[in-house]
Amino acid sequence: MYLYKTGIAQIDDVSGGLEAGTNILILAPPMSYAEQLAYAMTKPLQGEYAIVLSTNERASEVIDFFKLAGADKRFTGVIDAITKSSTPGIVDTQRLMFVSSPTYLSGIGIKFSNMIETIFEGDFSEGEPGLFPPPIRFCVNSISTLLMYRRLEVLYQFLHVLTAKLKKTEGVGIYLLNSESFDDKTLSLIKQLMNCVIEVKVDKNVSSFRIHGIRGVNGDWMKFTVTKGQVVILP
Amino acid sequence: MITTGVSGLDALLEKGIPRGSRVLYSLEPGVDGQIFMISSLACSVKQGLSCLVIMPSTTVDAFKNDATAMCGSHLDLGKISRQVVFIDAIDRERIQKSARTKKSQAQEWKARIMRICTEKKVDIIFAYLDLLNEDFGLKTALDILDCGRADARSTLFVEHLNLEGPQFLDRFTREFPFDLVLNIRSSDRPVPYFTYFTLVHSAQKTVPRSVPFLIRNNRIIPYNPRILITGPEHSGKSTFVATATEGPRPVGVSEIDREPVPEDMDYGWMQWRDFTLALYGIPGHIPSDRLIPPTLEHIIGIVLVIDAADPETFPQARQFIGMIEKKKIPFIIAANKNDLAGKLAPATIRRELALKKKIPICPISATKKPDVHAVIDALVDYITQYSA
Repeated sequence: MYLYKTGIAQIDDVSGGLEAGTNILILAPPMSYAEQLAYAMTKPLQGEYAIVLSTNERASEVIDFFKLAGADKRFTGVIDAITKSSTPGIVDTQRLMFVSSPTYLSGIGIKFSNMIETIFEGDFSEGEPGLFPPPIRFCVNSISTLLMYRRLEVLYQFLHVLTAKLKKTEGVGIYLLNSESFDDKTLSLIKQLMNCVIEVKVDKNVSSFRIHGIRGVNGDWMKFTVTKGQVVILP
Repeated sequence: MITTGVSGLDALLEKGIPRGSRVLYSLEPGVDGQIFMISSLACSVKQGLSCLVIMPSTTVDAFKNDATAMCGSHLDLGKISRQVVFIDAIDRERIQKSARTKKSQAQEWKARIMRICTEKKVDIIFAYLDLLNEDFGLKTALDILDCGRADARSTLFVEHLNLEGPQFLDRFTREFPFDLVLNIRSSDRPVPYFTYFTLVHSAQKTVPRSVPFLIRNNRIIPYNPRILITGPEHSGKSTFVATATEGPRPVGVSEIDREPVPEDMDYGWMQWRDFTLALYGIPGHIPSDRLIPPTLEHIIGIVLVIDAADPETFPQARQFIGMIEKKKIPFIIAANKNDLAGKLAPATIRRELALKKKIPICPISATKKPDVHAVIDALVDYITQYSA
């Protein structure tokens, strides 16, 4: 089974990386470096692909992050649910797809399937086809925004479909959720869809995380930062 | 009568959809089926009908842009501007701001729809249901949409994303009298992506019918699913096709089905649940780079027939497996001649052919109809219920 390196030594050293089909929730307060952490974990390594569903920032901003982090943009796709509301004429490409708003779950689901299909058919990038099934990292930034527009029950069903699809395609999913904006019921329902949770907190401007649900990885808080797309554990 | 612009669907409905009908396009998550609604809109506009489009998730400009990308020149934007009125996401926001309670919001929706339908003499309402359903519940949402068709002359097309499964779909035939319910789905398998629509309910026809489709040149092209029967020489491919074939020769649903069958191939057909399957048997001698002839595309799966009693043919079978795996088409093994002495057990065959565990092996006699049908059952189940 393919293992996805996370760039977090505590995970990679113990288990070799995340097993194909893993879905991870990053539960974090605002301004906690969680977005950078999620993107660092999503950054495609050689032979891999990344898809980001962005409900918070434009595709160009997402691509900029990956470029700065040293990722090959030919292997990175973005489903952008922001830009089309201000630029309705914007046209989809193989790697950049646009939906009219974060409320439009039909559109998001279709673009996600289209991108996966393009990757499987080898038409996503000009590179030589590699492993099959192709390793795909998928990031949702963020569930919080989707929850602002759609009811919890509906979103739960939608995410259930996405996480199941990702398992079947042997990808990994990384999902961001604001830990301070939602009640316990919401958090526990979303957690049900995940295999593990990375909890983030900020104390005196320093971010820390702890990992739950990966066998062999201890659940201690670890201070971290993200530099050029790399997760750096601080002493 | 109203046509949908989907050739296979219009053919199934014979003359089209009667005026005043209620039509549901139910999309399974991730299935590229939005073109059904857009195609129906394009056809209605072409027929000169006056339309109202209710799309609470998007804006008019974004919708027009998406519709043009989907339909290309089939959609006449000039006519759209003249014949179509929109209620969009901005209107929904206004309603939410102006009316505080759900009840008053529902009243405001109704008032707007009734006003437009009366003033513009709307013939057809096209509505995207999801947000209205979420805001008001299904019954009220459908009441809101129905208020524009008070005299039941107007036709209603509804699209929704079905996240709840078959029980939710049932409600549209049991609780609410929809005249036509179309479920737009795909196989669960990531590759090949096999998309089809099922006519779940029709006031004209009661028999469910499923038809796969492709989207090509901005049009929906339905086709009968094709299964390839291949294998080493004398393994029983022709017998398999002949035994499987039953019922009248199927009528092609599109130009894909009317492509001629290559001369050197066996051709058969059968009804499998609500699909009509076309079976193509290819000769045992084939060049290594030509498993599937260029004239025969859109294969959904392959049955590799082997002679279970003749292991000397297994190296050739291995070559076929190599070719199929390169094409990434789902396949299963029909271990034929299982009624002969000296046949090998499935576990031995799996080992000899170095087959992965997930590939089904069906021991059969190709002269027995139930055996052959069991192979097709196993293949289609393997395709549609794939799990990694």
